[in-house]
Amino acid sequence: MAVDLNSEKLIAQYLLGELPEEQQIEIEDRAFEDEDYLTAITAVENDLIDEYVRHELSETERRKFESRFLASAERRKRVEFAKAFAKVAAESTVPKKIELTPRTVSWRESLEAFIRGLNPAARFAFAAIVLLILLGGAWLMTETLRLRTQLTQLQAENQSRQTERQSLQQQVETERRQNEELAARLNQEKQQREQSEDSLRQLSETAETTNPAPRPIIAALTLLPGMSRGAGEKPKLLLPENARLVRLQIGIDPEEPYQTFSAELRTVAGRQIWTRENLTARAHRGARAVGLTLPATALKPGQYELKLSGVAEGGRSEDIGFYYFDVIIRHD
Amino acid sequence: MFDGQDHVQSATDSSSQSAAARQKWTLTQDAFDKLLLMLGSGDRESGSQKYLEIRSNLMRFFEWRGCSFPEDHADETINRVARKVAEGEEILNSFGYAMGVARLLLLEIIKSRQREQSALTEMGTASEAHSDSDDGENRVTCLQSCLQTLSTENRELILQYYQGEKGEKIQNRKRLMERLRIPVNTLRMRALRLRERLQGCVEECLERA
Repeated sequence: MAVDLNSEKLIAQYLLGELPEEQQIEIEDRAFEDEDYLTAITAVENDLIDEYVRHELSETERRKFESRFLASAERRKRVEFAKAFAKVAAESTVPKKIELTPRTVSWRESLEAFIRGLNPAARFAFAAIVLLILLGGAWLMTETLRLRTQLTQLQAENQSRQTERQSLQQQVETERRQNEELAARLNQEKQQREQSEDSLRQLSETAETTNPAPRPIIAALTLLPGMSRGAGEKPKLLLPENARLVRLQIGIDPEEPYQTFSAELRTVAGRQIWTRENLTARAHRGARAVGLTLPATALKPGQYELKLSGVAEGGRSEDIGFYYFDVIIRHD
Repeated sequence: MFDGQDHVQSATDSSSQSAAARQKWTLTQDAFDKLLLMLGSGDRESGSQKYLEIRSNLMRFFEWRGCSFPEDHADETINRVARKVAEGEEILNSFGYAMGVARLLLLEIIKSRQREQSALTEMGTASEAHSDSDDGENRVTCLQSCLQTLSTENRELILQYYQGEKGEKIQNRKRLMERLRIPVNTLRMRALRLRERLQGCVEECLERA
């Protein structure tokens, strides 16, 4: 319990026997219940003894002091000690300047003084807090190290994934190029095949033209432009019974600008018999003709109309002319 | 373990010194054991601790009241309490009961003031005779030696704490509190402990001399 100056004065009065009995009992009861108050009484007791040996007490106080304090041997020892102490303290070399100027207190001294100033319970609490802080610090440090390790691992994994991704991108790029090359090669081969097919067809047509087969299985007829349906004698196709193919040579104006042609064969009644696209014209001795081959079974005895169209740029089809002929079955 | 044998003997001796005429009842080992069991609520060991605490406080009480033989009066008080316990009286607040007995004893002491005053005068003379200059010089020498056993900080603390008169002393203590950053109670306790330590050291030094 804290004791202010007035209380110290009261305690001094008690120790000198100046207080009434009731107040003395009150102070004694409090002293034996409160350890701090007991300490305060002992401190005032020491101060009174010091003041006595230094002759700082008034005459009245001095008489009261002697009647009380010099009564017991124990207290007389304390008085003797105080005399020696006063002498030594007076001769002590504790510099006044140091006393007056507060010296710089290191953090360690401050901490020690702080701890010494705590009561046992507070010291235990302080020690527990320090222990908690130390444990917490150690835990935080461990966690930080663990998280750093994890971060490093994640960075390494991320780096590995990036490398893997780059590798996959390169692989995809390579495969894409290979696909493009394959597509280009395929296209090229397709063109080559088409060219080969054209060449084969041309050769076949040439062979057919230049080497007309005596065989009766192919019947041929040449149709000339400018012949209308009703104009005189129409060309006749004599079709042997065992004929398999019919070869029509459709003559066109040599000046026709079209590169490809389409042909559509109908009966006179208008029924479509045969169509063919992507036909080409061939020049021979100053004339041009488009060849059309169709199975003999498609033709029956009767009158037929053939429409020839030219395919202009952009795929637009333009009629060039109409050709008429009769089919007669020849029975051998 | 505390057995109380010394106390029984001491109480017997002290009663012969001070209030022998009044004391017809003497403390027996059995009565003392009962007292310790009562103080410790059945536990003799804690009863011993409680006994020492009560005795110390009783000594202080008689010392504060200016009695010549605080230790003897404390023992006499305890004897009277032990007698009541031996007679079967139930005591609930042992310390309060002891303080009551001590105050009654103090009244008896005050009544015989004349005899006390005579004893005091004799002791005072003896004291003056005891504290001759040689003894004083020896005490100072011992104290200087004992001061050297303290750390520099503790030596400065106790010298500064008790240095100066009245107002100057108060200012010194305030400066110490600020410098050490400790409350007044802590500073006071540290100074008291150092003073007790020094006084004990000086007494031992004088005995050796």
